[in-house]
Amino acid sequence: MNPVSRGIRNAFRNLTRTFSLIIILGLSIGLSLTMLVAHQAVTAKISQVKSSIGNTVSITPAGFSGFSSVNNALTTQQLEPVAKLANVTSVVESFTARLSNKNSLSTPGSKGLTNLVSPTTLNLNSRRAHFFFAGGGLSQIPTNFSLPITLLATTNPSAYNTTNLSLVSGRLINGNLDNNQAMVSQAMASKNNLKVGSTFSAYSSTLTVAGIFSGSTRAADDAVVVSLPTGQAISGQANEVTAATVYVNSLDNLSSVTSAIKSKLGSSADVVSATEQANNTVAPLNSVKSVSAYSLIGATFAGAVIILLTMVMIVRERTKEIGVIKAIGASNAKISLQFMSEAITLTILGAIVGMVLTVVAASPITHTLVSSTSGGGPNAARPNGGFVRNFAGGTSHLAFGGRGAGSFLRNNFTNIHAVVGWSTLGYGLLAAIVIALIGSAGVSFFIAKIRPAEVMRTE
Amino acid sequence: MLNVKDIKKTFRSGELTVSAVNGVSLKVDTGQFVSVIGRSGSGKSTLLSLLGALDKPTSGVIEVDGQDIAKMPDKALINYRCQTIGFVFQNYNLVPNLSAIENVMLPMEFAKVSKTERRNRAASLLDEVGLIKDKQLRRPNRLSGGEQQRVAIARALANKPKLILADEPTGNLDSQTGTMIFDLLHNLAKSQNTTIIVVTHDEVIAGKTDKTFKLADGKLVK
Repeated sequence: MNPVSRGIRNAFRNLTRTFSLIIILGLSIGLSLTMLVAHQAVTAKISQVKSSIGNTVSITPAGFSGFSSVNNALTTQQLEPVAKLANVTSVVESFTARLSNKNSLSTPGSKGLTNLVSPTTLNLNSRRAHFFFAGGGLSQIPTNFSLPITLLATTNPSAYNTTNLSLVSGRLINGNLDNNQAMVSQAMASKNNLKVGSTFSAYSSTLTVAGIFSGSTRAADDAVVVSLPTGQAISGQANEVTAATVYVNSLDNLSSVTSAIKSKLGSSADVVSATEQANNTVAPLNSVKSVSAYSLIGATFAGAVIILLTMVMIVRERTKEIGVIKAIGASNAKISLQFMSEAITLTILGAIVGMVLTVVAASPITHTLVSSTSGGGPNAARPNGGFVRNFAGGTSHLAFGGRGAGSFLRNNFTNIHAVVGWSTLGYGLLAAIVIALIGSAGVSFFIAKIRPAEVMRTE
Repeated sequence: MLNVKDIKKTFRSGELTVSAVNGVSLKVDTGQFVSVIGRSGSGKSTLLSLLGALDKPTSGVIEVDGQDIAKMPDKALINYRCQTIGFVFQNYNLVPNLSAIENVMLPMEFAKVSKTERRNRAASLLDEVGLIKDKQLRRPNRLSGGEQQRVAIARALANKPKLILADEPTGNLDSQTGTMIFDLLHNLAKSQNTTIIVVTHDEVIAGKTDKTFKLADGKLVK
């Protein structure tokens, strides 16, 4: 038997205390590792979001939120100087409105009628269910209720191909021509028996289906896409623009172009660069990152304190034994080694328990942290892109739970992968050993310095 | 073998300075069985601590085979305790979670004796002190007081020390067992030519030793 094996054996000298200590250390180390995993996952997500920043600037009318009000809409004329700014490569303008049919309720911002029926159905448990609006209005819901349909008018329908839309038949419409042509989703076409060349009504105009796309979200399924001139004309809101996306030639020029646009448009528009949007988007994640970092430090410190106090207690209990061992020829180094190996044994066992807890709990705890911090509602950060952004802004006012911006973020953030890799477990083991060494080295060294006769005198 | 010249040991107790050992000088020859007697607080155990290099004297010389241990550095003292001294304590002071044979092997581990050799020698020593094989694997809490003291004596002999220091080795034993332990120490001193210094209250036991020193108030009176 050598000091290391004696230390290992001593770790099991008092089984009740050993078991309790391992559980406490396991909780501490488990919490440390869980916070490390959460920190790594959130950091990776932040990097991913920031690395995907586009060199775009979003413009919306000041205070505009979805369909809530278009009284202060921007105009095409206002945006013309923006397109001429240095380093601006293009400007995509869009106009969004909401269409109702005879079975729809009179929802806020809904000014036009259509003969289309939304492909989205509601599963209401009671015919007496009511529909609440942000403004406090209340209506009884008809049994054949149809959700409002989004009319999206844009100068560049192809821009949505990269994010939400994928054509399955027909062709892409020209965003600059007023030709009463439209694109609808597969779900919308199926619900309303539409195919390429079919017609439907919107406001008092007849639109022809030129293309059918595959909608990747419920929001896209409920949309009708037309050119900007067509949308402005049929709605009678000539020149009005509710959103614009400015493309800048380089990420390096994004800040200067954003400032220039703000200068041009003044207080009439909200101008947000992709960087600002990304920062807004990851703001909740930064909170989680801070919380996890502080918790990691706290839990590791707690583990070190636990093992330190435990070793102080053990050393005090064995003062007599240390004196005896020194009297029969043990060196200070061997006594220190014995106590260190005991502390390392206890801590490694605690680390194993902690690792098991981490594997089990890291993912749910990370998701809980992220979802509880990211929250939702109108003030939540919004994702990039016009289509989803506009739709999200509009439905965020529906109290029955439309998939608004908060919901989008929750889905996006809870998609964070909290992976417990070998490196994490390695860090855990390393941290456990460091904790044990710090916790035991000082104490055992101090005791090893005590003269054996002084220990004997305390008998 | 042992030559002690005017050693003193003082302690601070609050504002008072206490002289536990006050100018003790003595000589012990190799193979002698010596006793130190005296009342509680007379300085017996302190003297034993100094002779065993558990503590350093405030002044004076302690020569063991011509080497002054009072001037030895700490590292050399560890080696001295390991190779030259064997201790037997009143309370046995065996390591509780080691078996009897592991307790006897412990000093040999510190002396860097090979594992096989220390196991064989430990078993042999335990046989010599009369602990049967079956009990050699027991932990101290499953041995009687007399058996524990036999293990402690075997442990003291493990590294073939020149000097065995025993602090009231029969103090916690009944008279019959105490006599057996004393006889065991006496026989070992003769058979292995080991010098043994025993601190005791028992004047009957002290009377059986080759030489007796009597301490009072830290000074030799006999």
